[in-house]
Formats: sequence, C-alpha cells, structure tokens
Amino acid sequence: MSALKDAAVAHLETLGGQTSESFGQTHVTLPAAQIREAITYLRKAGYEQLSDIFGIDYQGDPEHQGARFHVVYNLYAINEGERLMLRVAVQDGESIPSITPQWTAAGFMEREVYDMFGIEFDGHPDLRKLITPEDLDGFPLRKDFPIGESPTLFGDGRFLDPATFRAGMLGQDQGRTGWVGGARKGVTSEQTEPASDTGGDA
Amino acid sequence: MTTAPKPGTTPPRGATILGEETRGDFETKHMRINVGPQHPSTHGVLRLVVDLDGEEIAALSPRIGYLHTGFEKTMEHRTYQQGVTYSNRMDYLHAFGHDLAYVLSVEKLMDAKVPERAQRIRVILTELNRIASHLVFFGTGLLDMGALTPFFYGMRERERILDIFEMVTGVRMNYGYFRVGGLSKDLPDGFEAAVREFLNDMPKAIEQYNKLFEKNDIWVSRTKGVGVVSRETALEVGLTGPSARASGLNLDFRKAQPYSGYEDYTFDTITFEEGDAYQRFRIRMLEMEQSLNIVRQALDRLEPGPVKDPDRRISLPPREELESSMEAVIFHFKLVTEGFHPPRGEVYVPTESARGELGYYLVSDGGSMPYRVKARVPSLINLQALEPTCVGGLFADMVVNIATLDPVMGDVDK
Repeated sequence: MSALKDAAVAHLETLGGQTSESFGQTHVTLPAAQIREAITYLRKAGYEQLSDIFGIDYQGDPEHQGARFHVVYNLYAINEGERLMLRVAVQDGESIPSITPQWTAAGFMEREVYDMFGIEFDGHPDLRKLITPEDLDGFPLRKDFPIGESPTLFGDGRFLDPATFRAGMLGQDQGRTGWVGGARKGVTSEQTEPASDTGGDA
Repeated sequence: MTTAPKPGTTPPRGATILGEETRGDFETKHMRINVGPQHPSTHGVLRLVVDLDGEEIAALSPRIGYLHTGFEKTMEHRTYQQGVTYSNRMDYLHAFGHDLAYVLSVEKLMDAKVPERAQRIRVILTELNRIASHLVFFGTGLLDMGALTPFFYGMRERERILDIFEMVTGVRMNYGYFRVGGLSKDLPDGFEAAVREFLNDMPKAIEQYNKLFEKNDIWVSRTKGVGVVSRETALEVGLTGPSARASGLNLDFRKAQPYSGYEDYTFDTITFEEGDAYQRFRIRMLEMEQSLNIVRQALDRLEPGPVKDPDRRISLPPREELESSMEAVIFHFKLVTEGFHPPRGEVYVPTESARGELGYYLVSDGGSMPYRVKARVPSLINLQALEPTCVGGLFADMVVNIATLDPVMGDVDK
C-alpha cells in the first residue's frame, strides 16, 4: 500500500466508502450519490487514468448480498503504478450520476454499461446504446437475458427464432426474419431435398 | 493545419447538426455525410457520421457495433480453459496479446505457476505478433495516404511471422495456443532457426521501410502537425498504447507492471512529445525494433524444460500416464468435462497489447465457468480520441487519424 492509496482510501471512507480486498486489489464501494465527488478527488490526487467502467450482474449468485448490479470504475495512477477499483451498487431501475461531463473518457464506457445492463447515467450528454442495434429489446449481459436456442426479441415484435431461421436458410420456409435463403439464389425447395440414393448399378 | 480543440469545447453530439450559420454574404449549411461501415480506409466496419463545413470537419460521431459477437456473454458459458478460444478472436491482429491477457487473469485466480520456458515462449510469440500487427499498421496506414507499395513490403515480412506461427500452432490466425498454466504443446523442431533467421533479416527490412516513407514529402506534409493529441487530451479521453506514448504519456505495462518475465529483458519505452500523426506513425516503427530486441533476448535464454504447470488441478496429465494410471484418467475426465474451480474473487491483470492497455477482469463465483468476463479493450477507448483529433481538421486528415490511432474493429465491438 502506497501513501497515495492510503490517503485515497481514507478520504473515500469519509464519503461513506467501504473497503474490501480481492486478490491483492483494493476495492472501495461507494454510495451512488458520492461518485462525482470521489472521482474529482481521485483524479486530482493522482489517479490520472480512467481505465474502464463496467457492470456486473450478481443476480443468481446466492452468496452475493446487497444490490443486484455493481458498476466498477477502474482507475490507474500512472506515476505510482497504483490501481483502485471504485464500486457503486445499484438496484434494477436505479440510476447513477454520470461522470462524463467531468471526464470525457467515461463517455463510451457508460454507454456500454447502459447498453449491456440497462443502468442509466444521469447527466450523460449522449446516452445512446453503443454496440447493440437500436431495436434489440433487453440488455444482453444481464444474467436473465436468453441465450442459445431461445428466440431473440426485437422491439417491433420481430424476432429471431432459431428453428425458423434454419428453415429459411435451407430454403424450406420464407423465414420470419425475411431471410429467403436458398430461394434467393434461385434454388427451389424441391432441389434442396436430399437426392435419393440411386445405387451404384451404373 | 489541424489544431485539437480543448476538451469540452466541441459541441455536444447530435445537438447542432445541420445548424445554419452566416458567413459574410453567404448562407452556409453543414453537410452531413456517412463514412463506412464498408469503406477500405475505415479499417474494418467503423462507421462515422461526419458533419462537414466545406472541407472542414465540424462534428464527428463514431457508430460501432457492426462486428459485435457477444464474446463476453459466450465466455460466461464456457469453462475457463475454453475461454482461450474466444479471447484471440477479438483483436485478430494481435491475437497472442489477447490470449496472454486472458490466461494471466485466470492464472492469477488459480495461483498457477507457469514454467520459465512457457513464459519465454509466450513473450517471443507475443512480441512477434506485435511486429506483425505494426506491419499491418504500416502497410494499411500508408495505403490510406495513397502509397500502394509499402503494403506489399509490410505483408512480405508479416507473412514470414505468420509462417512461424503456423509452424507452432498449426494456424495463421486465432491461435489458441496458450493454456492456463502454460502452453498447449512444446515448440516444433526448427522454430529457433526460423526465428533467428527472421531476426537477422528484419532490421534490414525496417531500414527498407523507413527509406520508403520517412523522407517522402507527401507523407511528411500529410502527417506532421495533423491530429495533435496533447498529454492532457490523451488522459481526458483515456488513450493508451503507442498513440498515447506519442503524446508524451510514459505508460507501458510491460515496464509499469511487468508480467510473464518482461522485467528480465532490457528494452526502451519510446515516448514523443508532439502527439501528431507523424509521431504516432514513427513510434510504431521504432517499437518494432524494441520488440525484436525482446525476442532476441528471450530466445537466447530459452532453455529446455516443461511448458505446463505440473499442477493436476489445472493441466491435463501427460498422455502416456493415461494408459497406466487410473488417477490420471480421472483427472483428465474431470478437467475435460467440468474444468477447474477457482476460488471466489475478482482479478484484473493489465497487459500492453499492440494498441494499448488490455486486461481481462474476471469475476469467479467458485464455479467452473467465469461469472463475468470483462475485456478492457484498447481500441474501443482509443476511438474516443477520434473526435478531438478530427474536429476542426480537413476531411482528408480524418483518414490519417483513423490509420494512426490503429483501431481493430474486432477489438472495438467484442
């Protein structure tokens, strides 16, 4: 523990922070309301680089206590080589004050958290989805988001149903996705039937 | 010439699009054009919505996600060992860097002891891959500025590196050669000779590259003073890697927080103060020489030995033991079907990829699959530097700025 980290942790504890350790890395959990003040302080104190902001969904983890989501702010002090993980716990539907107005680097990171977990950031100048299409319903990195063979729902009722999709690919069905499959190349459904075995007489 | 606006002075995105302004007697309007996602100079599927005031860029907004593959979600549903299949598919140009970052995080969770030989081989391959990645940067970067020939020169040497990778891993990309606790297998015969031959030839090739562009008037006038990023702006937008070092930010995780035995090798972290496209370009050319240095040192110290952690919790037992030992069969079965269970906890190990800070944040709930995988990818966050570098500059300079920030779209969209 360096002097920088000791001072930072002591200051964050006056803001209501709770300190924990995991594999030698210090984490400080803060109330959401204090995040702007904490970031301003840490940036001045020497944590000059905002490495990352990301979310974790603890739903379904029986040993986890407290709010469903954690948003982690990964800060790095370049001169001291010190890293600090700042955490904010939020329930589903709660929002966090955005730090983008004070630190541009947070722009994409907060948008990614919003896109993947549906956690909103108050005061973000441009809180749009970052990666997924506009009409995708749901938040992919939440633990209750369906994967695999479950149909993927889109906003206007359109959805990707794996079985129909495969049928469309084989040209057996128009497919609800609009993908016409073999028919597009001029292959009719008769032609995609497996050819009958004529034997090896010839 | 371009000047970077101070952070915060650019208009908020989406606010003054198509705003009219009067200039002298003329009524002028901003024109909005769309660049990409399928455009050769956008290095993949980067789409930019650009508002132009004549030839000048008034506002710019990247639209990404065209290559989103959901790796993070998929990795939550695979065992820790299987994660190696996905990590290298993100940044396909510096795939070994991603593999290394991932296995380092899992090894920290498992407290694995990676044998020295495996660490040296990892460093050799990662650094060769860094050279290959910078060669693509060199070739495509100059291609974007209209120089066709350097692309073929760059690809010529990259091909030799890929041949070496093919010799070791069997494939030319998406290697998946690293394992938690070591490597999947030892090096083939002839590897050392092939690398030594490459190490001999590469300095001459770099000299040749420099002759191709360094004194070229067109190249100099297109890059010098273009897309300037100050040290403050670099910190403001979170820029890392060679682009940040060209802006005077002395940040290289190979030095700051050494991993895989990087502390054993002597090499320089090159930094420049100017932060323009010219220095962003040159710094990568110079870094290739440093990477060659590291490979040379690692190869000299490469000694025979095991390439896997002997710990049976992590590594598969040797094949021959399966025929005589019931216990080995059980371990083999458990590892293949279920995988290992790291203790509860969260880890993050930062590494230096060819593009910047790269690390995997892993959350373990004690199960055999990671509870949450978060890749801190450099390309995505470096892309935030595009707005300060481009706004206020010429449209043609935008292409130079994209090229010198060197994003890989697989690394952006994940």
